[in-house]
Amino acid sequence: MSEIRVMLVDDEPAFLGTLQKRLVHRKFSVVTARCGEECLALLEQDPVDVVVLDVKMPVMDGIEVLGEITRRMPQVAVVLLTGHADAATAVGGIEGGAFDYLLKPVAIDDLVYAIEGAYQSKRLGGPSQPLDTSQG
Amino acid sequence: MGWLTRIFQARRGSPAAEQAGEIEEIRQRFRFRFNEFRQLLAANNQALEAMTELEAALAGDQPFGMAFVRSRTTASISSVLRIIRHLDALAPGKYAALSTVFKSIQAEIEAALAPHAPRHGGPQVLRLDQITPDMTDLAGSKAARLAEVAAAVDAEVPPGFVITAEGYRRFLAASRLEEEINRRIQAANPQDTDQFYALSSSIQGLILEAPLPDDLAADIHTAVADLVRSCGPQTSLAVRSSALAEDLEGASFAGQYLSLLNVSPDDVTEAYKEVAASLFSVQAMLYRLRLGIAHEDSAMCVACLRMVRPRSSGVLYTRNPVDLQDETMLVHSVWGLPRAVVDGLVTPDALILSHDDPPQVLSRQVADKAVRFDCAETTGVARAPTTVEERRSCSLSEPEAVRLGVMAMALERHYGQPQDIEWAVDRDGRVIILQCRPLHRMSPGRKAAAGRGLGQPQARLLYEGGVTAAPGAAAGPVFRLTRQGDALSFPQGGVLVASQALPRWASLLHKAAAVVAEQGASASHLANVAREMGVPALFGAIGAMDALKQGSMVTVDADASRVYADALPGLENQNPRPATLANTPVHRTLKRVAELVVPLTLLDPDSPDFSPANCRTLHDITRFCHEQSVQEMFRFGKDHGYREGMGKRLFCGVPMQWWVLNLDDGFVREEQGPCVDLENIASIPMRALWEGMMAVPWDGPPGLSGAGLLSVMFQATANPALASGSMGSRYAQRSYFMISKNYCCLSSRIGFHFTTVEAIVGERLFENSIRFHFKGGAADQDRRQLRLRLLADILESQGFRIDIREDRLTAALDNRERPFLEARLRALGYMIMHARQLDMVMADPARVEHYRHRFEADIKTLTGPQ
Repeated sequence: MSEIRVMLVDDEPAFLGTLQKRLVHRKFSVVTARCGEECLALLEQDPVDVVVLDVKMPVMDGIEVLGEITRRMPQVAVVLLTGHADAATAVGGIEGGAFDYLLKPVAIDDLVYAIEGAYQSKRLGGPSQPLDTSQG
Repeated sequence: MGWLTRIFQARRGSPAAEQAGEIEEIRQRFRFRFNEFRQLLAANNQALEAMTELEAALAGDQPFGMAFVRSRTTASISSVLRIIRHLDALAPGKYAALSTVFKSIQAEIEAALAPHAPRHGGPQVLRLDQITPDMTDLAGSKAARLAEVAAAVDAEVPPGFVITAEGYRRFLAASRLEEEINRRIQAANPQDTDQFYALSSSIQGLILEAPLPDDLAADIHTAVADLVRSCGPQTSLAVRSSALAEDLEGASFAGQYLSLLNVSPDDVTEAYKEVAASLFSVQAMLYRLRLGIAHEDSAMCVACLRMVRPRSSGVLYTRNPVDLQDETMLVHSVWGLPRAVVDGLVTPDALILSHDDPPQVLSRQVADKAVRFDCAETTGVARAPTTVEERRSCSLSEPEAVRLGVMAMALERHYGQPQDIEWAVDRDGRVIILQCRPLHRMSPGRKAAAGRGLGQPQARLLYEGGVTAAPGAAAGPVFRLTRQGDALSFPQGGVLVASQALPRWASLLHKAAAVVAEQGASASHLANVAREMGVPALFGAIGAMDALKQGSMVTVDADASRVYADALPGLENQNPRPATLANTPVHRTLKRVAELVVPLTLLDPDSPDFSPANCRTLHDITRFCHEQSVQEMFRFGKDHGYREGMGKRLFCGVPMQWWVLNLDDGFVREEQGPCVDLENIASIPMRALWEGMMAVPWDGPPGLSGAGLLSVMFQATANPALASGSMGSRYAQRSYFMISKNYCCLSSRIGFHFTTVEAIVGERLFENSIRFHFKGGAADQDRRQLRLRLLADILESQGFRIDIREDRLTAALDNRERPFLEARLRALGYMIMHARQLDMVMADPARVEHYRHRFEADIKTLTGPQ
């Protein structure tokens, strides 16, 4: 499998730094963004395979960013990773196209599985995009 | 089914290029389905983990908070939704009814979690005399009771005001702190002590740094100014916690939140923030965790009262808290502020009053009180040595004690239950009530056991003395606390030994077997908390620090005021510690939520009731989807339309023809030619299966022998047209493997048996799965049944689940480790090759037994020791 390109989006710099190191250690190529606007701007220039997106962020929250990504860059997979345990947000996020809704603190293995799974599903055409009924 | 149609359409022309296209389409189809299936199983695994955690929390006695309930519930919900979506990708639209069921369960779960939203409305600041008893959830129980005492019992209380729950809510809302606090609690690991301390300090920092909304600050300034105007320019304030859910019976929060004394009127807003922040002190968070109270339900109301400067003060219990049989009132008293009593810093004077109106002083025990606490000249509290006269004399006169007792009797009558009263006597001898709450009483209930301890021949008495601060007995290693830093290394099950009964040791009680303190009395905050948590405690045990050696095993018999060497059988763990968190608010919420998540009511996949409409819990949905997903995935082998020429012939040195279709990464390297070597097969399940198939040479039909017959039987695979003729389609009669690295589907027709094996074998336990189908065979119905039974017996002994329908046998095995499944696949491979020997002997029980033993012995060799 070629190196999966990941973007981490979170407004907590300490969290970003730690997670970036651990994912690079697991052979991912990792860039970071501190807010939703930065995430979208970076994606426009150089898309990645999987965005790991915080939900609670100032100005533009993760669910809005998710909406923009699915609309403008449907080839990019999204995994939500948040400290905000809220059932309705989780359901909205997954129905809105997120591959998974993970809660902090996350075991690194679980995050790696989710990133790989999101990447695979996007590549092969999983349920996180509108279902192609003619296919089935 | 568009893709299938396309394949059939393409078949009509069937030149090589078109066939290559078909194969590519099958591969893509496979990769897509296999990925969906794997993702479904991963989500299934996550859902089950979250459910297991919820169930364990419900059954166990480990404390948990709302953050835990929300996080595990949300994890269950999001995982189950993913399962549903992956199943829909495997079988589009087929299980649409699941979405409806899921939505309705989700709505019920959200409703069960909802009551923990903070209340809205009401004034931000209330004068004490404006508070009525129905305002407990606005003013907090401590302030509401004080207001009630003043109004109903004609007792004097210090005047003042309360910054209400609404004030607190608006304070947090102005900086969006509530969300941030929940996020931080959610993200921290409560098992990690360092993280827990860091979490506490970061949340307190947030609160201290947040600005007060202008209107709240203005209301507070006005209230302070009014108080100073009515009480005089020298007035200072006591700023005390009055949190919601504080002072409940069995959850007094005694000493767990901050109270600031002798605060200058100019500093009230800062003091307010400090008290509000103490909602998230380590000890308060642990206390709530232990008693199952959500911090959302504990909004911090803060009472700002005129500072009383007492001559003497203390605590009165209207009954004995550690003996239900004892009806007398107990007064603890010191010179100056009551801090020395409640913080367990000295052993106070103790007076026992009769439970009469007016009461009589039955006894007086004057303690040696070395220090006293008073308001400092500027602000705060000062500690000073007592004079020789004060040290030896009783800090409360008999007439004062009687007047206090009369007031206490009135309070007990008013509330209809025993009371715990903090009181002060000023320089003029006036009695002032500072606080009043229900008294949590316990019974030792084991006076006999205490006596038995004495009678034990081996019992070596290490210490005797002090008073029962919390009843019971327990054993553990001694851990002496001399500094705050020692608290971090306090061991689970240790006996806490300290010179003073400080309130902050409360954060260790959930780990402590028992507590022994040289100072302090049953009226201290620590004693209160020890009683609530059921930790035996012996206070005022002067000399215990010297008598009890660090690390030595001891038994503390708090009821008998004794400490023995070693763990004494019959005395250890006699403490009435509450078994679980049952009936705490958080536990009740978890219970309601768990009922919608955890139980499995959909049990039998073969029942007609096994349907989306009958899913009542998230676990039911999970179970249903898992069952269906395995069927949908393995249906691939039947649906895909394998045809002659698609696969490559396995070059294996046996005369039979085996064909292999590589679906993804089943070959070590890409194969251009028409054949593939066994060495080039990367599929884990196929290799295991093949090993079993080839392990034991087939010795020909029973009773017959010879290469000729052998080759005749092999015709069944080599030339399907010779086999039975009953299976018309030439496509169905190949023996072929469809493989990827972790997947294998074998369809074979050997002799008169039609078998399929579908397997996923890899390193992820929860993906691993085998399904074996066996059908047909030459013989009448009875013999077929006998044969199936024999196969079923052997497979069952190998750990398979068996289902027999008419002449069809299905064996299933899930979620086992790779070596185990490889061994089972070897066994299946062996049986596929050798089962036909049974066809001709089923009428002869002796020979059936012969083959049974033979099969069992061979399979044992193949699967190795278990």
